[in-house]
Amino acid sequence: MGPDRGGARGDRRPPRGVALSSTSLVFENVSYAYEEAAREAVSDLSLSIAVGEWVGVTGPTNAGKSTLCLLAMGLAPHFFGGRLKGRVVVLEKDSRELSVIQRSAEVGLLFQNPFTQISGARERVDDEVGFGPECHGVSRLEVAARVEEAMALVGISQLAARHPMDLSGGQLQRLALAGLLAMRPKLLLLDEPTSQLDPAGTAAIFDVLAGLHASGITIVMVEHRLETLCELCPRVVAMVAGRIIADGPPDDVFNREAVQLRVGSPVFTRLAREAGLSPPWPVRLRDATAVFGRRLA
Amino acid sequence: MAGGLSLYAEGKSLLHRAHPLTKGALTLSAIAIAFIAPSIGWVLGIGVILLVLVTAAGVLRRLLAVAAAILLPITLLLLAVQGFANANNRTVAFALGPIVYYREGLAIAALAALRIACLVCATFLFSFTTRPADISEALMQRGLSTRMGYVVQSALQIIPQTLDMAGRIQDAQRARGLETEGSLPRRARAYLPLMLPLVLSSLVATQERAMALEVRGFGLPVKRVARFEFADSPLQRVLRWVLIGAVPAAIAARLAGWR
Amino acid sequence: MGILNAFKVRMNTLAIVLIPVCIAIDWAGHAVASTLKLPLFLDSIGTVLGGLLAGPWVGGIAGLITNFISSGTVDPIAAPYSIISLAIGIAAGIGGYYGWHKTWPGRIALYVLIVLVASIGSTPLNINLYAGQSGVPLGDAVYASLVKSGWPTWLAAYIDEATGDIPDKLITVVVATLIYFGLPNRYRALFSVWRRQSGEPEPAPASSV
Repeated sequence: MGPDRGGARGDRRPPRGVALSSTSLVFENVSYAYEEAAREAVSDLSLSIAVGEWVGVTGPTNAGKSTLCLLAMGLAPHFFGGRLKGRVVVLEKDSRELSVIQRSAEVGLLFQNPFTQISGARERVDDEVGFGPECHGVSRLEVAARVEEAMALVGISQLAARHPMDLSGGQLQRLALAGLLAMRPKLLLLDEPTSQLDPAGTAAIFDVLAGLHASGITIVMVEHRLETLCELCPRVVAMVAGRIIADGPPDDVFNREAVQLRVGSPVFTRLAREAGLSPPWPVRLRDATAVFGRRLA
Repeated sequence: MAGGLSLYAEGKSLLHRAHPLTKGALTLSAIAIAFIAPSIGWVLGIGVILLVLVTAAGVLRRLLAVAAAILLPITLLLLAVQGFANANNRTVAFALGPIVYYREGLAIAALAALRIACLVCATFLFSFTTRPADISEALMQRGLSTRMGYVVQSALQIIPQTLDMAGRIQDAQRARGLETEGSLPRRARAYLPLMLPLVLSSLVATQERAMALEVRGFGLPVKRVARFEFADSPLQRVLRWVLIGAVPAAIAARLAGWR
Repeated sequence: MGILNAFKVRMNTLAIVLIPVCIAIDWAGHAVASTLKLPLFLDSIGTVLGGLLAGPWVGGIAGLITNFISSGTVDPIAAPYSIISLAIGIAAGIGGYYGWHKTWPGRIALYVLIVLVASIGSTPLNINLYAGQSGVPLGDAVYASLVKSGWPTWLAAYIDEATGDIPDKLITVVVATLIYFGLPNRYRALFSVWRRQSGEPEPAPASSV
């Protein structure tokens, strides 16, 4: 990730507080309630994510997963208003000090709905990918280079001349991701990025994410499909009613009773439990194959 | 679906290649002078110049089709009303049974219709030879804010999408038994069930779109980099100033007694 | 100055994104009215709604650009009337700023204001463009009979125009208000977050501990 971001920094003040080197995202006792909401959406959240991690976030409805993404992006409170307590530190900058648009050069957020994420102002896929860098005043040559790179990363180069509204949901979601990657973010937040996609579209997105993780980008991904989560993420955060109830490697998190009761278990864990195996139960396909293989042998 | 609103017709004429602002100046100046010019002869002259340009741009046939649909009803309405009832009516032209038509009113109607014809021709001359995306880009290069540029570009995309959706909702509501034909009160009652679902869904989508735009840095106060350059020339620059300058000149001439 | 404060409402990204949607609602309102063969234009529902939700600038710009786009594509004669659409959006925005759409007397005031803005504004344009007519057959029939019985042209032109505006703007204001109250509370609250003056501090960070 090159240092050149086209001189788009509005805020040149040094970050306040302690520089937490090698952390990408830190929540310190964060509570947040939306404007005119009686109840806090998240309460007393503390979390530290290191550079290069791939963290999966899961939990039932109203767990506060999306709010966590909105807080990390700064949309809460900068877009939604509401009341924020505690500190959210993103790439060593306090979230109160930078607006969403100022932060957009370094942090990207992919939403669920592919249709509302395209700018709606561009008539070609490649122009759409370039929308973000153009907003940042990046030079024309540099925009072209970044667009090409981002389209190749998500595998939509062959769609460059198409109209965005003529793409399928899966293609659109990859287009939206390319639009974020063209900004060369250091931290990527994904709020159930594949919940509205078909299996092929889902697989394509996860392939891209695996590649980005390998290249060193920090990824925080909200995902309700527990099998997928365990397969992809080395670390899982389980949330219930605005609080974190478990945080760690998936094998650890999904072997806790509280998580099994309130969040659920991956199918392999359930099978092993019902088969009467002794814990710890497997959470991934390959571990389950090994465990059941031993059992059958 | 893409660009469903645009009237732009691909072409290689001089007008197609001209800078969008040159064409804009031509259109606005022609319309203004048509309404400043004092008599039918002058307005007719402007109309002829516009028709020559339309022919040179190779869009005459397309223009006649759309312009006739707009101009015919309004011209007839003007002649029918003004010839019959106008404060200046003195000289009888002819009578249709009990209704008497007067020369003065007919002349006033003809002048108004000709001016409207110039307005329509000048506008379509611009629309047929200019890509909508070029208009907003040209204006942004001349200082229109990127946010307003976005509004124009986005509106041009959303309108056809919304009209498409209106058609789909209409089919769906009809299939569920909504009556869209029959007496006026019955048709009027169908209006809300057709509008509400359309409007509510498109409004609620704006929240996510606004967030997604902020995440991409929309609205950052940076110096905008032009997306592409338009071909321009000293001749066009001079022409633009001449066209714009012609409007105050015409007003001055009119005040000085141009009849 | 009370009324000027309505113009200081902050233009955030949500307000910007709302404008094209209001423009599309203007178009859809007119298109649906045409397919139902209703004898009204109903082409400013989005403009009024934008004003109610997000203030005079959003309403005004939506009205202005709606007319610019129709002029360039389907109806060049709409161009001079852009200024009227701008004024209607601004009027709705001022009404919305004072919350007129929330009470019955306010709703009537909003309707009367919009009818006055539209009819008074359009009359001089009609006189210069159409020799006083409005271009709508029913209104023009009224115009012809009034002029014939000796009424002054400007008054006949005003009545001609108002004949169309009185029912048209009634339905427009009713539909826009119904849509406004049909929106989820959370969505409307998003706009109230920003309904603060540009001089005031940022709403959210200031309220934090």
